[in-house]
Amino acid sequence: MNKPLILVVEDDRPIRNLISATLKMHDYKFIAVGNGAEAVLEASSHNPDIMLLDLGLPDMDGVDVIKRIRSWSDMPIIVISARSEDRDKIDALDSGADDYLTKPFSVEELLARIRVAQRRLSVVQTDRAASGPLFVNGDLKIDLAAGLVFLGNEQIHLTPIEYKLICLLAANVGKVLTHTFITQKIWGSSWENDIASLRVFMATLRRKLESDPDTKRCIQTHIGVGYRMIRIDPADKEEKEQ
Amino acid sequence: MEGVIKLNANGKQKRNAANEHILVCLSSSPSNERVVKTAVRMASVFGSQLTALYVRTPDYETMDPEDRKRLENHIRIAEAGGAETVTTHGDDVSEQIAEYARLSGVTKIIIGINSSRRRRLFFKPTLTERLFELVPGIDVHVIPDTGALGAYYGKKGRFKQSVLPSWKDIAVTAALLAAATGIGLLFQRLGFTDANIITVYLLCVLIISILTRGFACGVMGSFASVILFNYFLTEPRLTLRAYGSGYPVTFAIMLAASIITSTLAAKLKAQAKLSAGDAFRTKLLFDTNRILQGAKDEREILTITASRVSKLLNVDTSVHFADENGLSGGLLFFAGREGSEQALPEGPDFEAAQWAYLNKKQSGMGVKPHKAIKFVYTPIRAGESICGVLGIGAAHRRTDAYEKGIVQSILGECGLAIENLRNAKGREAAAVLAKNEQLRANLLRTISHDLRTPLTSISGNADTLLKNRAMFDDETADRLLSDIRDDAEWLTGLVENLLSISKIGDGSIRLDVSDQIVEDVLEEALRHIDRGSASRTIALETGNEPMLARMDARLIVQVIVNLVNNAVKHTPEGSAITVKAVPDEAFAVISVSDNGPGIPDEWKEKVFEMFFTGDNDVGDSRRSMGLGLPLCRSILEAHGSELILGDNRPSGCIFSFKLPLSEVDLNE
Repeated sequence: MNKPLILVVEDDRPIRNLISATLKMHDYKFIAVGNGAEAVLEASSHNPDIMLLDLGLPDMDGVDVIKRIRSWSDMPIIVISARSEDRDKIDALDSGADDYLTKPFSVEELLARIRVAQRRLSVVQTDRAASGPLFVNGDLKIDLAAGLVFLGNEQIHLTPIEYKLICLLAANVGKVLTHTFITQKIWGSSWENDIASLRVFMATLRRKLESDPDTKRCIQTHIGVGYRMIRIDPADKEEKEQ
Repeated sequence: MEGVIKLNANGKQKRNAANEHILVCLSSSPSNERVVKTAVRMASVFGSQLTALYVRTPDYETMDPEDRKRLENHIRIAEAGGAETVTTHGDDVSEQIAEYARLSGVTKIIIGINSSRRRRLFFKPTLTERLFELVPGIDVHVIPDTGALGAYYGKKGRFKQSVLPSWKDIAVTAALLAAATGIGLLFQRLGFTDANIITVYLLCVLIISILTRGFACGVMGSFASVILFNYFLTEPRLTLRAYGSGYPVTFAIMLAASIITSTLAAKLKAQAKLSAGDAFRTKLLFDTNRILQGAKDEREILTITASRVSKLLNVDTSVHFADENGLSGGLLFFAGREGSEQALPEGPDFEAAQWAYLNKKQSGMGVKPHKAIKFVYTPIRAGESICGVLGIGAAHRRTDAYEKGIVQSILGECGLAIENLRNAKGREAAAVLAKNEQLRANLLRTISHDLRTPLTSISGNADTLLKNRAMFDDETADRLLSDIRDDAEWLTGLVENLLSISKIGDGSIRLDVSDQIVEDVLEEALRHIDRGSASRTIALETGNEPMLARMDARLIVQVIVNLVNNAVKHTPEGSAITVKAVPDEAFAVISVSDNGPGIPDEWKEKVFEMFFTGDNDVGDSRRSMGLGLPLCRSILEAHGSELILGDNRPSGCIFSFKLPLSEVDLNE
């Protein structure tokens, strides 16, 4: 796989240095900038593959940066935010970010997120054309034409809502979907009861997938934020730790 | 009447400069109206405080309805003039006036002459004369009679209402006298002396006095018994003559004795009635006080007051609540229907209440500027401020001075209760503030101390590496670097706890609750455990069914993180730590247990105190702020739960807590 070009947008110099050093060490190509205006400029001129975006920028709101970039680019965006800013994270995800990193984060975490984004990139690039009726992720197979879900060779029985959920997650594999986004897609509303329902459906869905150790963690729960299906890569064991 | 802000005649609340306090005596006589008006004028000239006093004597019960109406009219005039009306009870009007004047610091007494003339009927010094005698230091102004009084007295005999006995009383008197005569005849046949028979007659008169109203029957009985005694029981029988030379004296003494007996008994009865009234009033106030003591907030106190007045007077009442933002909408209580209160719509009634609130003065029915309103609105004072407005319905058209006194006393109790409540709140807030302040001070001291250590280590190690890297072998360099990392991690954990404390510690906890899958929360927590956990096995056990519980997920994650980190810190390497969630009826019971050495009993309470760190940690000697457990405890308290520490078998300890399971309507 080609090493992608990463745009790092972070105003805090030590953190920018840390990210730059890490990326350099792992042979990623990158551009590092310190504010939103430069970020939009660099994004349009260099057309990077992945963007790491700090939400607390001095000149403009991180969410605005995402919205402007989303107007022409579909590149994976990973936002970086402080722990206490749940709302900002959710806003960023709802306006098109794919994933988030919470400060303080470890270097391994950062690399893992970049790998997830990379895989999504390859999915976007390869699957889009051949978005056939079959979705395969590790042992998980979804036959979209027949509406059937398999774990290995065994069919698993899902309720209509569970099926809708797994399809929604599969269609956005690698991307963190917020509670609001999911409930809006499934029920068309996002009342508190919808979100509680969603949690129960997700819990039962995950239990149905848990029988297979490989798919056990393919749906991640992000407390207070949402859910994500990750693409299972047998070569990447670390991913399961995530 | 303490605790009531005095009003001057203009109704403005100000302590009068001249310290004048005018007392006007109310009565039911027509000329009293002039007396009251004079007093009002005088008070307004002097800018002084005005009190209108009505002494309620036993005569009140038998008062003519017309008189009563007039009295009420006088009370209204006095109140409209800014007077505070007071009713006292007693037999001796002058003494009551004098007593009140002395106690309330009255400087001038205004009284009508007719009131004094009335008292002459009792062969006593006139009321004014006695008053002069009783309160030598106070000016007594006597307002002269207008002359219309003679006709007034001529028209109705004073005894007409109060003393004329009813037919029933006369029948009782006759029957008793007949019985006494019968017994007298029997005694005579048995050969008893006259003394015995006279005693029987005296007893008879006493019983008559007790059983009949007023003392007319008693006096009549006295005369009748002497005549009957003479007619039936002295020689010669059946004549009104007596042979014995001593008999005239006997008759005179007998008459005197029976008259005194009858008047004494009648007086006693009246006194008993008065004191019963007083006892009722005392009990009522006591009960009200007791009920008010139980109230939790001002609204409740005002509500109780209004419903109590409604019950007591059997009228509709209303109450408006006042707070910093002014007067808010009222509640209406219907007479005779408890628990039927309803919200009062805005309108002229609210305006009248608002007026009473702003002017700290009665308004509503009959009082400018809201004469048309059907309620009388009285502001309720607590200390210097008005805490609400009580409305009393128009059904209660006659302002009975006695009941009015009771209402005023209840309002006084209400004001006191509210003041007490406010004081208690103030004290509580001050105590909490002091405690928080101390906690904050402790926290700052400990934090600055505890931050310095890891920061010294981080900057020192980094500096050393930066300057002398070449001098270190790889192993040493690695050790220094991992120290930097561990210290930074420790600081991260500290910051997380401090963030949670800042959310919870200021007393106003704002939980961000939602229904969460317990298992997800526990998994999330285990992702944030310290690095030291690698040398312990941490197991997560959850039931088969997903449990949905209501909580602030972020804070509960923090609780689990702290509990597991604690277990890691206080157990030797290789220990097993279990995080478990099981359903128990309507709760999810979440526990963190270990098989380490456990916690000695004497520390079990202390571990929850802030800054307690134990003596020696079993594992590495990592510093600890001792913030973790107290924080866990406050987080759980904020959730309405509690953190319980127990012993694990065969060794170790278990921290557990419960969270309520929630039901969810699944949107299939």
